[in-house]
Amino acid sequence: MQRKVIAVIKREYLTRVKTKGFIASVALTPLLMLIVTLLPSLMMRMQYTPEKIETVHISEKIKTVVVFDDTSEIFPKMEAAIDADPVLRYNENRGYRLVERESNFNGNLEAKKELNQQLQNREIEAYLEIPKDVLEHGQVEYYAKTTTNFDQLNTFKQILSNIVTDMRFEKKGYSGTEIRSLMRGVHLNILTVEATGKNDNEADKVEDETATWVKRGLGFGLGILLYMFTITYATFVMRSVLEEKTTRIVEVIISSIEPYQLLLGKLIGVCSVCLTMFAIWVFFGVVLAMNLNPILRTFGVDAPPEQINQIIHIIKANSGPTLFYFVIYFVSGFLLYSIVYAAIGAICNSSEEAQQASTPVAMMFIIPMILGPSQILTAPDSPLNIALSHFPFFSPFFMFMRINTLTPPLWEILLNIAAMVIAAVVAILILGKIYRIGILMYGKRPSLAELWRWLRY
Amino acid sequence: MDLIQVENISKTFGNFKAVDNLSFNIEKGTIYGLLGPNGSGKTTTIRMIMDIIAPDSGQIVFSENRRIQDFADQIGYLPEERGLYRKMKVKDVTLFMAELKGMQRQETVDEIDHWLEKMELIGWKNRKIEDLSKGMAQKVQFITTVIHRPELIILDEPFSGLDPINMTLLKDLMLELRMQGATIIFSTHIMEQVEKLCDSICLINRGRMVLEGDLKMVKQSFGRNSVEIEYSGNIDPIKNSPFVEKYNDFGKRVEVTLKNPEGYSAFLREIVDANVDVTRFELMEPTLHEIFVQSVRHDAESGMQNAA
Repeated sequence: MQRKVIAVIKREYLTRVKTKGFIASVALTPLLMLIVTLLPSLMMRMQYTPEKIETVHISEKIKTVVVFDDTSEIFPKMEAAIDADPVLRYNENRGYRLVERESNFNGNLEAKKELNQQLQNREIEAYLEIPKDVLEHGQVEYYAKTTTNFDQLNTFKQILSNIVTDMRFEKKGYSGTEIRSLMRGVHLNILTVEATGKNDNEADKVEDETATWVKRGLGFGLGILLYMFTITYATFVMRSVLEEKTTRIVEVIISSIEPYQLLLGKLIGVCSVCLTMFAIWVFFGVVLAMNLNPILRTFGVDAPPEQINQIIHIIKANSGPTLFYFVIYFVSGFLLYSIVYAAIGAICNSSEEAQQASTPVAMMFIIPMILGPSQILTAPDSPLNIALSHFPFFSPFFMFMRINTLTPPLWEILLNIAAMVIAAVVAILILGKIYRIGILMYGKRPSLAELWRWLRY
Repeated sequence: MDLIQVENISKTFGNFKAVDNLSFNIEKGTIYGLLGPNGSGKTTTIRMIMDIIAPDSGQIVFSENRRIQDFADQIGYLPEERGLYRKMKVKDVTLFMAELKGMQRQETVDEIDHWLEKMELIGWKNRKIEDLSKGMAQKVQFITTVIHRPELIILDEPFSGLDPINMTLLKDLMLELRMQGATIIFSTHIMEQVEKLCDSICLINRGRMVLEGDLKMVKQSFGRNSVEIEYSGNIDPIKNSPFVEKYNDFGKRVEVTLKNPEGYSAFLREIVDANVDVTRFELMEPTLHEIFVQSVRHDAESGMQNAA
C-alpha cells in the first residue's frame, strides 16, 4: 500500500517539477520578493520633515502658476522661496514660473473664466487665490486641471505654510526663521533590546532601527510569499483533483488505492514541489551570501556598502528561526487550504464551476492582503492583529509576520502551531468525506443540504 | 467455476430505476458481454461490480468469498469515459498506472515496451497524451488496463471511437488475454463484436434483463427454423413441401422458413428425392443483431402493455 502512495507522490511531484512554469517561478520569484520586501520599508522610512520641502518629482517642462494675491505680501515671498530651491527654480527648460494677477473687487469672475480656459488648454498648471485674511483663517484656493499630483500639491502647501507662519510670528515681533530653527524637533533613534547577555562579559543584544525595519520588511515579504504560494499550490491540488475526476482516471485509481491515500499522496507531492523551490532559493541565497565579496569584485566593487552589509548581517542573524517558522506555517497553511480546495474540486465537474465555487475561499486570501500592510508594518501588536493571527486560516500570514516583528512568547507560538495542526486534521476528517464521495459523483453540483447528508454517512 | 455472481441487484437514481433486479453469473476464463441500448443500465451495472457505487439491494459475490478490494491489483478497469493525464508522457502514464497496481518498476518498463509495440504505439512512447489522437489515447488507456495481467478485466464500451483496424486489434487482444486465463466483462451495443467474442451474454433493456446465458444457447433458443438453399432445376417440390411455412425465391437461391425447426433433415431428404439439384443447404442462425432488435422491441411492447 505504501508503495502506491509513493507512486502518487512521485507523479504529482515529477509532473510539476519538470515543467517550464516551475523553473520560471524558481527564477523570477526572488526578484518579485525583493521588490515586495524593500518597497514598504523604504516607503515607511521616507518621513516628511517640515523644514525641508521635499520634491521627489522634477518637472519636465516649465509650469506656469498664476497667483491672485489679495495680501500683496505673499507673492514676492513665494517667488523667493521657489527661486531658492534648485529643483523648483525657473530656468530655461523647467521649473515653476509664477505670474501675479491683479485681484479685483468682483471676485475675479472674469479673470477666472479666462484662466479656466487656459487650464483646459494646459497653458497654465494651476492658479491660486490667496485671500486677505489668510493669516487668520489659513485658507488658500488652488485650482488646477490635475489635482492628483500630490508632490506638487504638497510643495505649494509647504511653501505657503512656511510663509504664512513666518508672517504670523513677525506680526508678534518674532523672527520666523529663528523660531523655526528653535522649534526643530528630536529624532528618536529606536533601539530594540532583544535579549540580555548570558554573563557580564557578553554584551546585551540590542538592535537599531534599521534592523527593526529590515526584520519587518523581511517578515512582510516572506509572509506575502508564503500566502502567494499557499494559494497557488492549493489551487494546483484542486485542479489535479478535478482533472482526475473529469477524465474518470479517479475511478481506476480508486480501484487500487483508498481515496484518503490518494488525497494524502497528492498533498505531499504538491507540497514537496513548493518546498523544493524554497530549498533551491535557500541554497543559492547561502552561496551568494558566502561569496558576496568575490562576486562584487567581479563587478568592480571592492566591498559592499555599509548599509547592505548591515542588512545582510541582520538577515543572517535571523534566518534560522525565520526559515523554520516559514516552513512550519507554509506546510500547515498549505494542508488546510488544499483540503478545502480538494473538496471543492471533488464536487465540481468543470474548471469554470470550480473557479466559481472556490471564490469564497479566495476571499479568505484577500483579507490578509488588505489588512496585512497596515496591521503588520505599523501596529504589529494591535488586538486585531493578534486575534487574526489565532484564526487558523489566517495564522500562516499574521502569526508568521508577528513572529518576524514583535516575537510573541514561545507558548503562544506553540499553541498556534498546535491549533493549525488540529484545524488541518479536522478539515481532513470533515472535508475528506466530501472528497471521497464527490470524486465519484457526476451531474449537478451537490447543494449544501446534500453536502450535509454526505458528512453524516 | 463462477468468478462473479451478481444476485438481484437494483439501483435507483431519484425516480429513475437504472438497474432492476439483475442477476447473472460470470464463469472464470470466459468473455462476458453486457449488451443493451444506450441508457439501459450497462455502465451502472459495471460501476456496481467495481464498487464505485453500491446497489440499493442485492449483492455481488466474488469467488472464494473475496471482496473486490481484496484482489484490486488483479483487476483491470476501463471506464466508459476515457481520459488520462493530458500533460504526461505515454511511458510515464503507463508506468504510474502499473505502479498503482503494485507492479515493480523494472518489470514494468519492459512490459510497457512490449505492449506499445503490440499496439503500434512504440514511436509515441515519449510523447504527451495531449499530442495523441483520440484512438491512440484509447489504446494507451487499454494498455494501462491490462499491463498488470489482471485476472479480471472490465471494459466499458471498449470499442467505441475505434476505427475498424483498431477494433480488430482490440478484439484479437481480448481473445489472447482470455486464452491466457483472464476473465473479461465488457459492455457494448455493437453486436458484430459480440458474436465473435463472447462466450456468454446478458442483454439488458431499461435496467431489466431480457436475455441471459451462453451465446450458443441463446441463439438456439431463438431457433434455427430458417434454411438457405442453392439449387438448380425445378423449385416446385420446395414450394409445395408440407414442411415449409413460407419461402422467398431469388432464382438460384431460396430462403425457406420451416414450420418445425427439427424437421430440416426430413425436408432435405424429401426435396433430394424429388430430384431438386441442391448445391448448398444451410441452416441459418438468427444473427445477434436480429435477436437484439427483436428482444428489445418485444420488451418495449410488453412494457407498454404493463404500463397500460
